[in-house]
Amino acid sequence: MLGRGVKRKWSCLEELEAEELPNALVIEEKKQDGEEDRGEQRSKSNMSHLQQRQLVLSLCLEKLQHYQAGMELSLRRSVLLINTLRQIQEEMRCDGSDVRLHSVNPDMCLLRDDFREDESVTCPGCAEGDRESPSLSPPLSPEMPFQEANISLDLQKSLPNTVSNTFSDAGNAIGYLSDLALDDIFEDIDTSMYETSDLPPAWGAGSLWPVSVSFWPDEDAKSRSSAGTLQSCLLDLNELDHIMEILVKS
Amino acid sequence: MAGVAGGNDFQWCFSQVKGAIDEDVAEADIISTVEFNYSGDLLATGDKGGRVVIFQHEQESKNRPHLRGEYNVYSTFQSHEPEFDYLKSLEIEEKINKIRWLPQQNAAHFLLSTNDKTIKLWKISERDKRADGYNLKDEDGRLRDPFRITSLRVPVLMPMDLMVEASPRRIFANAHTYHINSISVNSDHETYLSADDLRINLWHLEITDRSFNIVDIKPANMEELTEVITAAECHPHQCNVFVYSSSKGTIRLCDMRAAALCDRHSKFFEEPEDPSSRSFFSEIISSISDVKFSHSGRYMMTRDYLSVKVWDLNMENRPVETYQVHEYLRSKLCSLYENDCIFDKFECCWNGSDSAIMTGSYNNFFRMFDRNTRRDITLEASRESSKPRATLKPRKVSTGGKRKKDEISVDSLDFNKKILHTAWHPKDNVIAVAATNNLYIFQDKIN
Repeated sequence: MLGRGVKRKWSCLEELEAEELPNALVIEEKKQDGEEDRGEQRSKSNMSHLQQRQLVLSLCLEKLQHYQAGMELSLRRSVLLINTLRQIQEEMRCDGSDVRLHSVNPDMCLLRDDFREDESVTCPGCAEGDRESPSLSPPLSPEMPFQEANISLDLQKSLPNTVSNTFSDAGNAIGYLSDLALDDIFEDIDTSMYETSDLPPAWGAGSLWPVSVSFWPDEDAKSRSSAGTLQSCLLDLNELDHIMEILVKS
Repeated sequence: MAGVAGGNDFQWCFSQVKGAIDEDVAEADIISTVEFNYSGDLLATGDKGGRVVIFQHEQESKNRPHLRGEYNVYSTFQSHEPEFDYLKSLEIEEKINKIRWLPQQNAAHFLLSTNDKTIKLWKISERDKRADGYNLKDEDGRLRDPFRITSLRVPVLMPMDLMVEASPRRIFANAHTYHINSISVNSDHETYLSADDLRINLWHLEITDRSFNIVDIKPANMEELTEVITAAECHPHQCNVFVYSSSKGTIRLCDMRAAALCDRHSKFFEEPEDPSSRSFFSEIISSISDVKFSHSGRYMMTRDYLSVKVWDLNMENRPVETYQVHEYLRSKLCSLYENDCIFDKFECCWNGSDSAIMTGSYNNFFRMFDRNTRRDITLEASRESSKPRATLKPRKVSTGGKRKKDEISVDSLDFNKKILHTAWHPKDNVIAVAATNNLYIFQDKIN
């Protein structure tokens, strides 16, 4: 694991990823051979896009949350912000399925649901999670790169703290999501959390947000650790929607 | 009428600037709307402090023909006061969102002014004589005992200093749940419409206790809300036709003859999106901030964040003309989103002959486009060039590459100085440009 406050460059993440690639995935990708290059190119060109998406997303949340108390919101602004959020959500949802299938095999696409069901029956939470996380997580949770299984377990333990923090401060939560190369985000991470020994409580809360369902359908610890932060953030978003609704209702 | 600029024969020059010079700008002094009346003799401004200031055109004299663009304060009054909505626990700002003049019918002038919730009809009238010599009343105005009046005196009208009175004649309240963004007087001169984020109401100018709701786009479930009304205007000649624009970049034209409730539009103007320029901000920048019919009624103009478009009412699938206002900001959208500028609502206006259009930008720049020659010009409203009849120098923003002399780089634009509201004299080449708390008046240069 990289030390606290050490910047992780994309190339570094990629290397980590490569090391972490589970055999199943490697085999799968070998099968797809030619497609691999294209996929790689795509992921690189997507980087700035994903970065921007994170930025827009975090600003959206911030803007929706930091309205002036006592003043009526501009409905136009709120609607435009919420539509932008929806657009990002939709895009993430598409990305999720994209990533899951590596956007190669149209047959797999058609069979997606059955395919998933089969997997979870035959191999509950092993290959599936590993298959998804490498390509998904770097842009989403760059602060939690892929480590040995035991480290990811540590991360998992640390999450309850993160979640409770993020509920009070959406802006903070976004820090965990984004790859904005802001050093202070790293400063905000309390490393003492990693030492906590309590096991996390139930993860049920995540299911409130549809994105999380399509993103991380499995029980794998790694994907949960990244999903958890996003979920908590999106939960905030859900609450915001609710607040907005109350505020604008005539 | 001459073109907007660029030609050898036509230039804009400074005429006047109104408002304080102080660097410290009081929030209440920020101009929120500018509007010429039908003759162009009066120019009204509204501000965030709820005040309306009316300027009157200085009468030209043969000795001083350059006074064409000179306006002096005619009347100032407090149109709206801050209020508090006790049911919603929300403040209602006094800020004047729009002013619309009524066509003049008699010696008095009438205008409508609105804040977020309440529209008021004001009468502005002059008084320069007073009746003198009544013997029915005491000096202090009390009626005298009739038995003590022994003779009947006919009062005489005595001249006095000109007094301009503004009096509220009608108050149209409690009809809008959301923020009023537009008011527009109909060509029948009897009705007007008012639009908020989700509804449009039709009023009779004489009747304050009821209005017809002609458009309602509020979904039963507010969670399904994806679009708001951003502006609305009546057709200048056909009193049954009006348009409204939306935050999705579309314009709907409605015909009130078709049905009392115009939920179904007659025409739907939309330009297909260019997939190559799609970004997270596509919808935000396509949101229309203003819509204006041409004086002829044949065209309408819409302003979105980066461009201004002219639509032929007979062609719905694309605009006939598109002008880029500040295309160089496309690469800056993320920071403009961050600092909230992307939500700024720029307005636009036609010149008297519909041959040119004007709209605002940042850094106190404003743009004019000549529809015939397709020439455009960027001018700046600044105190530095505010010497009487000083010619305005065209400004240029450098777009990538090396910055030439006299060019300003995109990064040094001041996004706090924005020109949202402008007005063009209906008959003459005189323009009014609101720059924060200052009102600039420019005119074309007579050689």
